[in-house]
Amino acid sequence: MPLLIFVAFFFLLFKGLYQGQTNIPSPLIDKPMPAFNLPTLGTDQLITDQDIIGQISLINIWATWCPGCLEEHEFLIQLSNSPQAIPIVGINWKDKTELAQLWLKESGNPYSEVLVDSVGKTAIDFGVYGAPETFLIDEEGVIKYKHIGPLSTQIWNREILPVIHTMQQ
Amino acid sequence: MNKSICNFLFILFISISSSIVQSEFTSQQEALYQHIIHEVRCLVCQNQSIAESNADLAKDLRIQIYNQINEGKTELEIKEFLLNRYGEFVLYEPSFNNKTLLLWFSPLILLLLIFGWYRKIRSPLIDTRE
Repeated sequence: MPLLIFVAFFFLLFKGLYQGQTNIPSPLIDKPMPAFNLPTLGTDQLITDQDIIGQISLINIWATWCPGCLEEHEFLIQLSNSPQAIPIVGINWKDKTELAQLWLKESGNPYSEVLVDSVGKTAIDFGVYGAPETFLIDEEGVIKYKHIGPLSTQIWNREILPVIHTMQQ
Repeated sequence: MNKSICNFLFILFISISSSIVQSEFTSQQEALYQHIIHEVRCLVCQNQSIAESNADLAKDLRIQIYNQINEGKTELEIKEFLLNRYGEFVLYEPSFNNKTLLLWFSPLILLLLIFGWYRKIRSPLIDTRE
């Protein structure tokens, strides 16, 4: 009996050793997105959370210093050109404006709007801890899903598309 | 002559800049600040607190906490702020609720189990001796 308990405990802890916490559940799911008022890239025009409400959209937090953002960029471009496209609002997180502009010019711009969070305050309000992070927002501005890490076709089909389908029903 | 002016300006600069950084906190606020930043996990480098981490996000969170203490927010309000954004995982000490009940009582349960098992293997021995 003691041996059995030991073995059970051993495997419990052993499993925990390799589990890791890479996808921390967000407390923001099913809550209205945090309020923000951010300038768009390269201009002084301000955009608030209220401006992007009204349709299903994505909010994508990215930066030129983030390797995962480079990885998902190709997919975002594809998505923005596909028939199932929804507006992608980019939030450029703690980045240099010139670098961000150059990046979009050279590798294409999948975003309907690019907002600038230079101090990282909005990112904290969204609970962002590692770019890229993507939030799925419904028509009322409620966060329905959060994906941490680069997006891809597989992840889109497996994780995000089903949520969009249930939202449209 | 030039050198002494330079020295004077340098010392002036140092004293002004250090007074800007340090003037705003009372020792009580400083203690609260230190207490909180040691209890908040850096989510980028998960085995460090934001006090220990040099990650950009840890810096941003320290600034947030610093500003909130300056605004007179309490420890509870600041922790609430972090919990609402990052969830339970951001605090090192898990809160006490239905989900964590088993976690909190597991040491006691284990202790009782061991005690019970110990009594069970001990008692027949005593019986045979009598």
